[in-house]
Amino acid sequence: MNAMQKVAWTEFAVAVTAVVTATVLIPWLGAAASAGFGVLGFVVVGLVFLSGRGGRAVVDERDREIESRATKIGVETAWMTLFVVLIAATLWASYSGTHTVSTGFLTWLIWVQFAVCYAVKGLAAIILYRGSQRAA
Amino acid sequence: MPRKKEPDLTNCIRDLRSARSGMTQQDLADRVGVTRQTIVALEGGAYTPSLALALRIARVFGKTVENVFTLHE
Repeated sequence: MNAMQKVAWTEFAVAVTAVVTATVLIPWLGAAASAGFGVLGFVVVGLVFLSGRGGRAVVDERDREIESRATKIGVETAWMTLFVVLIAATLWASYSGTHTVSTGFLTWLIWVQFAVCYAVKGLAAIILYRGSQRAA
Repeated sequence: MPRKKEPDLTNCIRDLRSARSGMTQQDLADRVGVTRQTIVALEGGAYTPSLALALRIARVFGKTVENVFTLHE
């Protein structure tokens, strides 16, 4: 497993942990459980794997290509998640008669979007690396 | 819309490396500035290198790019 694979696993694990943490905290903290998404800050831990090792290349053109594709997949998925949920929330608010969407819901949506972005990006990179190893 | 098909590129890096007794994948990776995993992917035909990397690999073996890589169309 090379450095960028470790970074991908870190991003995926941290994003899933953040969602689980925030969800588990809901019964105790209510809307404030979104603080659990602070776990997302641990994605920076992945940078530890990128430190140089005796002049050897840690990241090369293949890693950058996979990173670029994974980032594109992650960001596009997160945006689509945002759009679809916003459309659904707007329709629900219109037809249910409430005509309002709470700011608490929007806060959660933004945090979930960040988590989805990192989780999908990490998972895409893991799959892309695994695919190339299997082919090799 | 049909997607452009990736070129079918094969190479003889593994054979050239074997011919140079003692040259490991890590040795070649260090000389061309990539990770060992990229050499593994290249030898397995799972990765199409950039022109710069192809030139660097060919230079290590003292060959032209055409001698190392073959494009099947």
